[in-house]
Amino acid sequence: MTRSSSLSELGRATNCSDEHDSSCNVSSSNRSLRLAENAKRKSEAEAPFLVAFKYFSQVKAGTPVNGNDELLGHLDRVERMALAQGLPPDAVSIMLEFAMSLRCRSSISSRVLRFLIPASVVPQEAVVRGFSWLCTQKMPQSMQILFLRWVLTMFDMIDCKDNLRAIYGFIFSFVIDESLCPFICHLLYLLTIKGHVKPFRVRKLLDIQGRMGKQPYLMQLLALYKVFCPEMVTLTMPSRMRAGFKNHSTTWKAALAALKRRNAGKEAPSMELTLGVRKSNSRKRKFHHLEVPALTPAMESSGPNARRGVCLQQLSSFNELLDNLNSIELPAQMGSLLSSALALHYLDCVQDESAFLRLNFWLGHALHEEFLFGPADGSPENMAEASHFLSMLVSTQHFLQEGFSSTEGFLFKFLQVWDGFLHRPQILELLSDIPLVPSSYIKDALFEPLMQLYFTSSVFFKCSVIECLTSMLRKWLTWHSICAQEEGLDISLNNRSNMSLSLSGFLDSVLKLVQFVGRLTSAGLQLERGHTLLLHHALGFYETVSDMFLKYSLPLFVMLPPGVFYPALLATDPVSVDRLGYIMFRYRQNLTSAKEEQKKQKELSIHINRSVYQEFNSYLVAMVAHLWNSRSFSLRSGIQVSEALLERTKVGDHSNCFDLIHHPAFLNYAIDFHQQCWPERADIDLNSIKAGKYWEWYVEFLFTQGFAGLRDFIKVNINPTVTRHSDGRPSSGQPLSQPSQPSQPTAEASSTALS
Amino acid sequence: MDRRSAVNTSVTHHTTHRRSKSYGRTFDATSRFCYTPGQLTITRIPTSREAAKAHKITEKVDPEQVALLVKNEWKLSYVTPLYQFRYTLLNVYAKHLSAFLVAEKQQGTAVEVGLETGFKVTFSTVLGMVETKDDAETVFIQIHSKPVFASAGDTPRVVWSGWLTCINGDPEYLQSLPPEFVSLPLFCTSGTESLTFLVKLWFERTFDCSFGSLSLDPNDLQWLAALWTGCHSDNNIRSLKLAWTLPAQPPLDVSLTVNGQDAWDLWEKVRPGDRADDSVSIEEVKCFITGIESHFFRHFKIHLSAGVLKKVSTALGSVHLDGKIKITCSDYMITVMTLLTECAILKMPTI
Repeated sequence: MTRSSSLSELGRATNCSDEHDSSCNVSSSNRSLRLAENAKRKSEAEAPFLVAFKYFSQVKAGTPVNGNDELLGHLDRVERMALAQGLPPDAVSIMLEFAMSLRCRSSISSRVLRFLIPASVVPQEAVVRGFSWLCTQKMPQSMQILFLRWVLTMFDMIDCKDNLRAIYGFIFSFVIDESLCPFICHLLYLLTIKGHVKPFRVRKLLDIQGRMGKQPYLMQLLALYKVFCPEMVTLTMPSRMRAGFKNHSTTWKAALAALKRRNAGKEAPSMELTLGVRKSNSRKRKFHHLEVPALTPAMESSGPNARRGVCLQQLSSFNELLDNLNSIELPAQMGSLLSSALALHYLDCVQDESAFLRLNFWLGHALHEEFLFGPADGSPENMAEASHFLSMLVSTQHFLQEGFSSTEGFLFKFLQVWDGFLHRPQILELLSDIPLVPSSYIKDALFEPLMQLYFTSSVFFKCSVIECLTSMLRKWLTWHSICAQEEGLDISLNNRSNMSLSLSGFLDSVLKLVQFVGRLTSAGLQLERGHTLLLHHALGFYETVSDMFLKYSLPLFVMLPPGVFYPALLATDPVSVDRLGYIMFRYRQNLTSAKEEQKKQKELSIHINRSVYQEFNSYLVAMVAHLWNSRSFSLRSGIQVSEALLERTKVGDHSNCFDLIHHPAFLNYAIDFHQQCWPERADIDLNSIKAGKYWEWYVEFLFTQGFAGLRDFIKVNINPTVTRHSDGRPSSGQPLSQPSQPSQPTAEASSTALS
Repeated sequence: MDRRSAVNTSVTHHTTHRRSKSYGRTFDATSRFCYTPGQLTITRIPTSREAAKAHKITEKVDPEQVALLVKNEWKLSYVTPLYQFRYTLLNVYAKHLSAFLVAEKQQGTAVEVGLETGFKVTFSTVLGMVETKDDAETVFIQIHSKPVFASAGDTPRVVWSGWLTCINGDPEYLQSLPPEFVSLPLFCTSGTESLTFLVKLWFERTFDCSFGSLSLDPNDLQWLAALWTGCHSDNNIRSLKLAWTLPAQPPLDVSLTVNGQDAWDLWEKVRPGDRADDSVSIEEVKCFITGIESHFFRHFKIHLSAGVLKKVSTALGSVHLDGKIKITCSDYMITVMTLLTECAILKMPTI
């Protein structure tokens, strides 16, 4: 049987080489033809290896080695491949056959054995054939030992062992060879089953033992025989024996380990939550805390009258999950739920408080051990693993749309020691998932450490911090609005229930956060000289803030600080001005509807600080004065610069230099518009746009360029009917303001303001 | 049920009608603004302790069991609360653990096999090793190896032992745990690393807990040095041995042996004479250690305070910075275990 199966193996190998024959039968002699043939192959990268394997499967016995570049070239290629990615099963068969048949010099054969590292499995038949070559007895002893050690080292990778057990007798026959005996004993030890223990074998072993003394390898094998058939081995065994065979080769093991590591590294970047358990890699034992445990059912005895339900790992589809939702048992380790997407769906419905406590204990422990207690291990593998773990946590929390409390607790501690660099993207993502922080803690836990990092880091770090805080604010607001809907939370403060208390607490925290970001952005923009990217992140934050009442039904109004407003108004890029217009538009909508709400409800349920209106109005006036009325640097424009200083700028008419035509952000639109209106004019007179209908057309033109924020701002704040001044200048839509008394808010806004 | 505090009850009550999933906060309270006390404090290291008093522990606890605890040097770990750990099932656990050990031992790669021995595991409760009602009873585990070819006279050899304990654990913390959890935060082991690893693995899989190694702080060592010295009048400590490592190139190890009586004299000088209570403050401890260090400086001109105190040993016991402890005199065990329990609880991820 052995014979036939190894023949079939050989048949397979020759079949495979026949296929290659058709494409490159003369290749070995004709290089150019071979290249041409190779080009036809679909995968060019694999071609040289296919050729090499074909070569080794066909090479004739007695092929000279010295000066045989072809042989050595193929050998090099295969060696590189073997050490880099391991050899596929077929290649292992071919190379083992080549080495064992000793077709070239035995030095070549032992070289082949030394780099014969399988990628996945070793086909059993290859090993069986190896033994048949061993039986030919023409092999030098060093080669025999090398082969046996190779088999022992790769034993766990042999796909199946039944045929090897079938040739147990053949293998046993080598036991008489003194130098092979230790290795043969070891191999027999691994292969022996009860049926193999026969009186004649026991006699043989005892015989050898008599000759060679009580060698540990013989004793181990005899001990195993005694375990299987105590009646056959009468020898008394010492109760304590030196354990183990010491036959493995460290170089092979190291190569295998390196291969495994590399393969694990290749899989690591894939961040999707795989169904089923992620295979743990060969991490050192004491650092296993970053492994997500396997989904296993809880121990039977864990509950006195445990009702056996369905284990999560038995389910393979979402439908199955739905069908069994009520009978699913929690796994032995809650952390294992993070290992599969299906389990996460289930986690979403778990109500058990202690289950979450278990999960949090596990997760908190892993995070603490890795990032707080453990010695810093900066090796690339470790960093990659840590970053993979954090990314997994980020995607899990996004999936659940909620942060774990252990992540939160960990982050507060980690922020105190963080350098702002280690795993930055993940840490900031996790930070943005933190649920609402009570206002009494928020400064020490969050603001102080973030502020230190913020002011000492690059502008890009500043941007990512603002982005993180924006996302945090959005999540808090979303949580609040959902919570308010679900529980019918009355947002009025008259109701003195628990929830209204919590609303004031919530308002407090949100207010603190908004004020904090206000400070960060103002000072940051100053430090970074109004960096455009930072400005955009700041405006992104205030887009959320301006809409808190309408979008998230939170009665809180905080205006953006001057440190953000003016840099945006005077920015050189039109997008910033446009976004500012949108933000002002949203503020107005929010304030107006809050005002209406107040009127409807009569009693003072929504309290809006008077100063908010004042601030809004002064911004509004400033914006209209600059963009529309060409009154930059005037009394009400918000920016006052002494005449002397303005003189020194040598700008002719400084009052109009920030109107929609001359504003540096819109200047090129103005020129574009000018050219379209008067294509024949050689010199450009931008002021002519202000005349007559052109102004309106120009504004329309700007709207068509995608400045929707600006359009909303202008439509709401500027009354188109009052467009003309008596002097004929198109001086513009007034802000619907023109206050009669300075303290009175402007325009439309006057109706929203408190009287 | 007795463990459940009033706060907790209200939590569970609330979460039943609230759909919001509490990944957010485990002890997520009525409003989301109530924190677990101390959650945001990183450390809560006490500034004063009770002076070590001789407890005749053998009066409360079976002397044979105490003898097992004082025999070895223990490697310390901390462990998060055990879920569904039941004192009534200790025999079942013993069976499971021994089966697990055998299975795991057989799993190695082919090249590392040997004739494996069987294991016999015993779990026992050290009754009486508690100080407050919140402390869970100490659990003692022993692993015996059973050689396959044991001769008649061979007694099973103890290859590993360990115990889980909680002495004077922070009541606020212990009471905040739901009743399904048993908190035995301190895990002491003695035996091969590989067996320790397997035992931890089994605990992690069975009780959904996590282990971490518990290394101590030089402060803890100073506390123990002072507390042990304070016992000298009742129980001769013979000598106080201290070992420092100084950050020189190469690192300089300094060990100093102070005569027990001298150490006690210094300690008495440091303690204010009119102390009515038995408490020891951190200032006194610091003062005591500074006294020893300045004495050393006078002779050798080396500032020991620039180094790290690595080891403290007396006739009552010894302790090493990397989390190894040996208790020689059971009378003062409670004091030492209280300190270590506290260190272990401080490592809990929820604190």
